[in-house]
Amino acid sequence: MSLKKFSELFGDLDSINSTNNKIEVLKNYFLSNDPIDNSWAIYLLTGKSNKRFISGRYLKNLFSQIYEYPQWLIDTCYLKVGDSAEVITLLLKNKTNSRKKKLSNISLNELLSETIPALSKLNEEEKNLEIKNLWETLPEDNHLIFNKILTGTFRVGVSIGLITKSISKLINIEEEIISHRLMGNFKPSIDSYEFLINKNINLQELNSKPFPFLLANTIEEKIFKNSINNFQFEWKYDGIRMQLIKRSGNVSLWTRGQELVNESFPELVEKMSHIKDNFVLDGELLVWNFKEQIAFDFSFLQKRINRKSPTQEIQIKYPIIFVAYDLLEINGRDIREIKLENRRFELEKYFSKWQNKTKNNISKIFKICDLLYPKDWSEALNYKEKSRENNTEGLIIKNKTSKYASGRKKGVWWKYKVDPMQLDAVLIYAKGGSGRRAGLYTDYSFALWKDQELIKFASAYSGLTNIEIKELDKWIRKNTIEKFGPVRSLKPEMVFEISFEKIQISKRHKSGIAVRFPRITKWRKDKKIHDADSLENAYELMKKIS
Amino acid sequence: MRTKQEYLIRYKDGNLYCELADIWIDPSKPVKKALITHAHFDHFTFGCEEYISTKETAILLKERVGDNIKIKTFEYGEEFKINGINISFHPSGHILGSSQIRFIFAEEKWLISGDFKLQKDQTCKQYEIVKTDYLISECTFGLPIFKWDESNKVANDISKWITNSPEKTSLLFCYSLGKAQRLLNEISQTNFEGNIYSHGSIHKMNNSYRELGIDIKDTIKIENKKKIDELKGSLILLPPSLSKGSYLKNFKNIQTAFASGWMSIRALRKRSGYDKGFAISDHADWDGILEVVKKSEAKNVFFHHGDSEALSKYLVEKESINVLLFGK
Repeated sequence: MSLKKFSELFGDLDSINSTNNKIEVLKNYFLSNDPIDNSWAIYLLTGKSNKRFISGRYLKNLFSQIYEYPQWLIDTCYLKVGDSAEVITLLLKNKTNSRKKKLSNISLNELLSETIPALSKLNEEEKNLEIKNLWETLPEDNHLIFNKILTGTFRVGVSIGLITKSISKLINIEEEIISHRLMGNFKPSIDSYEFLINKNINLQELNSKPFPFLLANTIEEKIFKNSINNFQFEWKYDGIRMQLIKRSGNVSLWTRGQELVNESFPELVEKMSHIKDNFVLDGELLVWNFKEQIAFDFSFLQKRINRKSPTQEIQIKYPIIFVAYDLLEINGRDIREIKLENRRFELEKYFSKWQNKTKNNISKIFKICDLLYPKDWSEALNYKEKSRENNTEGLIIKNKTSKYASGRKKGVWWKYKVDPMQLDAVLIYAKGGSGRRAGLYTDYSFALWKDQELIKFASAYSGLTNIEIKELDKWIRKNTIEKFGPVRSLKPEMVFEISFEKIQISKRHKSGIAVRFPRITKWRKDKKIHDADSLENAYELMKKIS
Repeated sequence: MRTKQEYLIRYKDGNLYCELADIWIDPSKPVKKALITHAHFDHFTFGCEEYISTKETAILLKERVGDNIKIKTFEYGEEFKINGINISFHPSGHILGSSQIRFIFAEEKWLISGDFKLQKDQTCKQYEIVKTDYLISECTFGLPIFKWDESNKVANDISKWITNSPEKTSLLFCYSLGKAQRLLNEISQTNFEGNIYSHGSIHKMNNSYRELGIDIKDTIKIENKKKIDELKGSLILLPPSLSKGSYLKNFKNIQTAFASGWMSIRALRKRSGYDKGFAISDHADWDGILEVVKKSEAKNVFFHHGDSEALSKYLVEKESINVLLFGK
């Protein structure tokens, strides 16, 4: 099967809005292509191919060299398009047709398992020649896919859920099974595709894999009408969501992003392997402040996430803990179908057994989450308000009688997040967006007052509606003071309400503070720039919280 | 070098103006005498004492705005004199009746390209290469990322788009004058055999085109209260102004698309809010503009309409052509 089919699939998925139609298109693709190409298609569509073989800059330079286009012209085009792979694709149009080379009919598999990996073994000159050759021999319709894979920027609006649904429809097996099979490291091969579409469900094969995670929904007003006794209350931690699995004596740590992270947290793997029982736990990994019995900030966790085989020193400096909040499987028995309150009972029972019976002290690295017992909803609200004191983001509220479902199922778990912190700030810089926002100024920097000066304190690009973005873009073009490359400095005039999750001291920033997840929550057209907040206000906010 | 006041044609209040003849080109405000390059509304304003255009442009304009305007018409290539300046219209290939305008005064030639394209279009006269000393050109798509496909390829894509969803009503949004007729002409040459409907504003223009001798497929004027089943699998041409708002509630189970040159860029396609974009334009692409600049043999070039910074720099660096700034 040719790459052309996949290019068509990409084009279709890119231009279809209806989920049902997307599923239909995917199903038909899987039906009419080889297993090996199908496995690659799944690999690409689920965003696992983010490996960058060549940078966008390299690609642009190469094009400029071969076709004698000035670099600045390509850069100007980029500002309009917002994606290097697409710019080169558009520029290549009609350039390669004229040469009468025979067009290649390469398959998706050949391209991904042979042609592209082979590029990295070539020296620069050979590599450039080979890319040029591919540009000239690949049919024009395939250029975008090729350039996107090369630059590791292949993305399309298809979720893993959509793939799951279409495979499920294809072979008529429940989505849960498919999503189970798709968990973890999906390696493209005939075997992995055949496993995916196997109509016989084989438990052995599924052994080391996590269950699909149950996700919390945003709190709904109607829940407050129910009796508070129907619910279980927990703190909402800001850590790494994880399933801790021990089966046949082997421990595996799976994140919600379906990554196996045993190597980053070896001390947890080691300690848990001393427990005699087999189990699957759902919980949160945190860097823990043992003195105060609260979690450290997420920034501590960041020091651990991407580090494999951490040294003893790192392990001591950033001590981790796994806080379990659910038990999903115990000694081979899947208990996801039993009620939450009964699962909690089992969890407590086994935890105390493990604490007493395990030779190695596990309590230094493993605990079960504390429950909160608000008497009524107003007390629950009080808990929520106090959540920052515990370095948590709010509450998780769980239906006591619920099963452990998969995905963002309604009516099971809710998150009740503390209100974000807010400051009113002045827009001072804007930068061109990329991707979908190309050609518009959509990346903004905001400042707070310090005496008579505006000091930059945060950048944000989300929160405005498309209409507001267009309106602001127009304003930006008219009120530019200076251009520095893609950035424009602006007349200070516009005030925005910026919300964020956390505020802390930072030596890296001129303002002396850093905020987490800043986003625009309101365009304060009613405010003049002198109504905006000052850095002092920001410091006060910080004091109030810590 | 001359100052900008000494040029035969210059910018005044945001419009092209020839002081010697006291005549404006496509003015955006009422003036005494206005030359009109073509009948699109962004090139026309009410209230001028006198309009001058090609015969086709005059007929289309009157069809759109009523008979209550005074228009003098000339054939393509026919020279007329105003204050000693020789003026003539030449085909620009943009839409039916569209023209470039040439001025000759004291052996100096000026050419205003108007909106133009070089691509084949059976609904209007092909662009005519006109030699000039000074060229004032549009530059709507002045970047090399813009390269148009042959229009029959786009028409085949549209036909496929409709027939691939036989259960749906396909709404194709396009400008009522020019683009709609060109699309109709091209689509009628594809395999598509379903019904084609068009909105009143488009239907009216179709009739005018036919009266002017252009072969346009007959379409059904869309009525608001059509039965949903009758529309299944058919194509409906609508003006872009109807894409937002309640008009679409008249239809069920639709897919939408927009036909415009901007649709060649994925980000713009996604942002446009249509399901699909077809990149087809009645303006010249990058290569088209370069070709016109070269073949006109102009030594001095001005650009208007669009962002001309990159194109100007490219011409100066690569082709050593003098690109001048009007100063608006």
